Amino acid sequence: MTPLVHAEVLKLRTTRSTGWLLLATLATEALMVAFSIPKRGAQDALVPLDDPGLLAATIGTSLLISQVLVTVFGVMAFTQEYRYGTITSTYLVEPRRPRILLAKLVAATLVSAVVVVATLVLVLPPSIILVQSRDGAATLGAQFWQVVGVGFVVLAASAAIGVALGAVVRHQIAAVVGVLVWMTAVEHVILPALPALGRWLPGGATLSVLQQGQANGLDGDLLPPAVGGPVLLGYVAMAIALAVVVTPKRDVV
Amino acid sequence: MMAPTVELSGLTKAFGAFVAVDDVSAVASPGQVTALLGPNGAGKTTTLRMLLGLVEPSRGTATFDRQRYDELSEPVRHVGALLEASGCHPGRTALAHLRTLATAARLPRQAPEQVLEETGLSGDARRRVGEYSLGMRQRLGLAAAMLGDPSVVVLDEPTNGLDPPGVRWLRGYVRRLADDGRTVLLSSHALSEVELTADHVLVLSQGRLVRSARLDELRAEAGIGSRARTPEPERLCALLDAAGHAYRRTEEELVVDAPSEQVGELAAVHGIVLHALAATGGLEQAFFHIIGQSDAAAQPAEVRS
Repeated sequence: MTPLVHAEVLKLRTTRSTGWLLLATLATEALMVAFSIPKRGAQDALVPLDDPGLLAATIGTSLLISQVLVTVFGVMAFTQEYRYGTITSTYLVEPRRPRILLAKLVAATLVSAVVVVATLVLVLPPSIILVQSRDGAATLGAQFWQVVGVGFVVLAASAAIGVALGAVVRHQIAAVVGVLVWMTAVEHVILPALPALGRWLPGGATLSVLQQGQANGLDGDLLPPAVGGPVLLGYVAMAIALAVVVTPKRDVV
Repeated sequence: MMAPTVELSGLTKAFGAFVAVDDVSAVASPGQVTALLGPNGAGKTTTLRMLLGLVEPSRGTATFDRQRYDELSEPVRHVGALLEASGCHPGRTALAHLRTLATAARLPRQAPEQVLEETGLSGDARRRVGEYSLGMRQRLGLAAAMLGDPSVVVLDEPTNGLDPPGVRWLRGYVRRLADDGRTVLLSSHALSEVELTADHVLVLSQGRLVRSARLDELRAEAGIGSRARTPEPERLCALLDAAGHAYRRTEEELVVDAPSEQVGELAAVHGIVLHALAATGGLEQAFFHIIGQSDAAAQPAEVRS
């Protein structure tokens, strides 16, 4: 199994799009930090400068951006192989297809952990400096570490959902565009408009476990984290189950 | 160790109502080049993909010494396959592409460099595959097939995209693989492409196996191979006798039961002047006769680049 996982990581590392996507995401997060930390004396901030949860909210929002990236990486694990026809050699090396699915899931999880670390390394120091320079509360308390810990799980879950979606949909452009539209638009419309439905969707569950209700103006609308977690894992299980059923039967023509 | 025998038994694949491969039973033996011949759409690729576990047969089996592809342990060490020229990420280098395969298959670290050397791509190993010509991609596909030093080699239209020197190189390469004792199964839509390499031909037409024969049987049936005109007919006749080729002598020319390539090379080696040398196309016509659609099948073969 390990060689298959190693090969999957190698596939990601040896294409340029991986690096560019990571850079673009981290740059977006840097911009987000610069604009989202409230200025001194700002009155309308969702999470005020003196709120001890400010850094937790900042890192949480960054992780939500990284979540989109790892989901897209996950989707590309299969769709890229179908797009360029490399799926043929992948299955020739290992014809027992569930093992390929598993290797891609493990590799995507590993990559998601690297992305969480990269997000922390890039976002945290400038956030602390910015908050302190504005005399705000740069608190690395229990809530902050909870968000970071849960962040590893949420991004791993998202990467896994991405891999499973890619295994089912296969068409790269359709899958990537679909995921982007869903994550960055559809759920953002449904959540405030229909919180009773939105809180049960993967995005709503993610906001709940990352404790991002306040930062998104959705206080009280989300599920409690103890419910949001299992809901999110339920989506992971469903997506993987679908991929497990579909993958071995599909003809590679 | 003896290379495995490839056996297709009642192999059938239907895509909805369309039967792409219909009850094909055949054998490819070690030490031989077996050619799967047929026009485009005859079911060659689907047959090979079923053999390699990529397409699930509707009925029947395809095995290597009675084991299905997905039952082989470490399949790339047993079976090497070239299926399409495009199976490569254009942004990856050839070396990186082969390394991902070698890593997944737990092959020795130096395997990618070795096969790149064998297929004449060493100098371009670190170039991105997107910059490769079609012929180079085909060589890379062949390199990927040979990565695990397999005893069975399956090649789908291996001459696609190769220039004439490339085609000649491939012929020699494929012949050596079989002479080493490997089982070679390749597909082609033109008999002329395989008549210098294949030992056995399986002719597919509209999904059905319409003929399985040794190439020399087909050649004997088709009779004639080439016509040669020379000012030194006695010398050429003596050489043809020595080489074991049957021939007929007319007023102006020799009608030889051997392909024009062989006659031409024989004459050149011995410094015999030829005023004319032409393939009679007897074998090709026999092939078209077998598939029963000579006109339709002749078109794609001629427009191929």
